[in-house]
Amino acid sequence: MLMPEVILEIKNIHKKFDDQVVLNGINLDIHEQEVVSIIGSSGSGKTTLLRCLNLLNEPDDGHILFLGEDLMDPKVNLDHLRMRMGMVFQSFNLFNHQTVMDNCIMAPISLLKMKKEEAIQKAQILLEKVGMKRFEQVPVTQLSGGQKQRVAIARALMMNPKIMLFDEPTSALDPEMVGEVLSVIKDLAKEGMTMVIVTHEMDFAKEVSNRIIFMDQGVIAESGTPNELFKNPKEERTKAFLKRYAHERLI
Amino acid sequence: MMMILTSIPPKDEFFKTIIYLLDTYGSFFIRGVLITLLLSVVGTVGGFILSLFLTIIRNQDIDYKRDSWFEIAIKKLGIGFTKVYITVFRGTPMIVQAMIFYYGIAPLRLSFWNPLVAGLVVVTLNTTAYIAEVIRSGINGIDKGQMEAARSLGFSKRQSMFKVIFPQAIKNSLPAIGNEFIVNLKDTAVLSVIGVFDLFKATQSATSSNYRPVEGFFIAAVIYLILTFITSKLVDHLEHKKVKVVNVNA
Repeated sequence: MLMPEVILEIKNIHKKFDDQVVLNGINLDIHEQEVVSIIGSSGSGKTTLLRCLNLLNEPDDGHILFLGEDLMDPKVNLDHLRMRMGMVFQSFNLFNHQTVMDNCIMAPISLLKMKKEEAIQKAQILLEKVGMKRFEQVPVTQLSGGQKQRVAIARALMMNPKIMLFDEPTSALDPEMVGEVLSVIKDLAKEGMTMVIVTHEMDFAKEVSNRIIFMDQGVIAESGTPNELFKNPKEERTKAFLKRYAHERLI
Repeated sequence: MMMILTSIPPKDEFFKTIIYLLDTYGSFFIRGVLITLLLSVVGTVGGFILSLFLTIIRNQDIDYKRDSWFEIAIKKLGIGFTKVYITVFRGTPMIVQAMIFYYGIAPLRLSFWNPLVAGLVVVTLNTTAYIAEVIRSGINGIDKGQMEAARSLGFSKRQSMFKVIFPQAIKNSLPAIGNEFIVNLKDTAVLSVIGVFDLFKATQSATSSNYRPVEGFFIAAVIYLILTFITSKLVDHLEHKKVKVVNVNA
């Protein structure tokens, strides 16, 4: 079988915060159209790993190859590469001084030199897709969490990213809003978007991912298909984590 | 009757003296008010613009990995300059700054250098330091996720500042900047020390030959109060507008 192209290649990255080792040698390839979910308990380094992928946190050491360029190379145009990586944050981070529409069109107009009419048209299509079209003129501060997160996804998609990074996209949401956001992400997966998702939603990860990464203490403890990892975990710590998770869910 | 109007009323006639001063020196007071307003408006608007430059310089990130040694040196110099600038201008009285600037630059015999110009320069430089601090706390109040979101889309640090951080920080700082204007209305009185003909100096001139300072400065006090009262109402209005937006959003 021909493997799809690798679009993100993470080679041996290390990261410390002060003296605390957060990432201790991570190697990971993300292939085109692949959906990879990263799970693990808090403090395992999963969010830091994701934030290292577009250098919001800069690794102390290692290489991150994206579209053939090493993000860790000081000479590389980081802003330019970031335009091709969409990111969705736990706390949405919509631009609070703008409307839904302005949040979507600002970056493509000023960075991709897209014509305003074209940007508006594209935004309308994407907002329709995430079910937010009728809110296009609403200031984002008036939206609920789930609505904000759907707009944040549309905003990231405006840049035609090669890959989407999701940092616990539903962790800050009220339970009844989790579904609307996850269904948007599932739709993206169906369309073949390459995605890396840090999540606590195990059922969602099982359903949407091609591969699950389980992180523990700054390393990838185990990785595999959802079936392998959830049904047949090899590592003791994976088993312990999944057991703890299942237990918590019963309470 | 004619004699009473043109000559100064006796000492115990407070209100008659006030009317006499207004009648005789009305043009002084008008000119003084206009100069005070000019100093305050130029100082606040100019200070606001310069403080943006100061803020941009101060907020530069030094990236030891990507910046050349030259860029690092320039940035460090710039950041150091802004720190010294703000410390010096906030840490010394404006009256002292006025003396140093006016008499320090006077020997150069620049044709445009006069007390008013010196006063405008000093009040602007002084206000710059205060508004820079106001904007800094405005920026500190913005969630750092705003910057991260802008960077993740591909905006440079500077673009993110201009397009995302400044619009929000300045909006939040507007009431405090309005307060700087009120402070300037009052504090520009000290510029009379270098001979700027503001409301304070005008009042001094109007009362020096007849020796009625209490009545004269009573007039000045009322005028200052009217100016600051109107301005503070305008600032309140601005603040209210902000609060109203928040309420709609809630």
